[in-house]
Amino acid sequence: MRYSGLQRDVLALYRKCLRESRKKPASTRAHFEAFARKEFQKHLHFDKKDFSAIEYLLRKGQRQLEMYSSPGIKDIH
Amino acid sequence: MFRTALLRSMRSAACQTVRRSAPIARPVGAGSFVTRSQFVPSPFQAARCYSAAAGLQKDEVEGRIIDLLKNFDKVADPSKLSPASNFANDLGLDSLDTVEVVMAIEEEFSIEIPDKEADAIHSVDKAVEYILAQPDAH
Repeated sequence: MRYSGLQRDVLALYRKCLRESRKKPASTRAHFEAFARKEFQKHLHFDKKDFSAIEYLLRKGQRQLEMYSSPGIKDIH
Repeated sequence: MFRTALLRSMRSAACQTVRRSAPIARPVGAGSFVTRSQFVPSPFQAARCYSAAAGLQKDEVEGRIIDLLKNFDKVADPSKLSPASNFANDLGLDSLDTVEVVMAIEEEFSIEIPDKEADAIHSVDKAVEYILAQPDAH
C-alpha cells in the first residue's frame, strides 16, 4: 500500500513519539506509548482528504511532543 | 667500527630469518630490514586473525520476528503468522500498529531504521530481507 505525503507525515510523527517514549523511565514508558496511541486514535475517523484539519492536528501533535519530551516529565496518565 | 660490525651481523641475521620464513613474510630489501630484525619475526606474525562478524541466519531472523509478532497483542490471529504474512492483510494490523511493529523490530535487532525504509516494510519477509541487509543488526 502506498501512502500519501500527509499520511507519511502522520506516521513519521507517531514514530517520533515512540522514539521519545524510549527515553522515558522504563517503568512509565508504556504510559507514554499508550498516551500517544490514544491521541492518534482519537482522530482516526478523519477523512484522509481533510488536509487542513490533518495539518492542524500534525502541528498540534508536534507541539505536544516537544512539550512531553522534556526530561522533567517522567510520567503521564 | 663497532657499529658497522654490528650492522653487518644484524643484516646477515635478518637475511637468514627472511629466508627461513619466506613463504609468509614479504621479501624486504636487506637495507630496510636492519631495524626490524631486532624483533625476531615468527612465521605467524604476518597473519593477523580478526574474528569475523557472526552474521545472522535467515531462519533465526525469521524466528525472532515471528516470536515478536506472537507477543504483539494486536495481532488478530496468531495462527496466520507465517514468514510470508503481510501486516495489514493477514494480521489485521493498521498503519499505526505497523509502525509499532517496525519499531519493535528495531529494538530487537538494536538498529535504527530510517523513516523511508521503515515505510516500505509491510510484511514479515520484507522485514527479514531488510534485517539481513544490515551488517550491524544483531
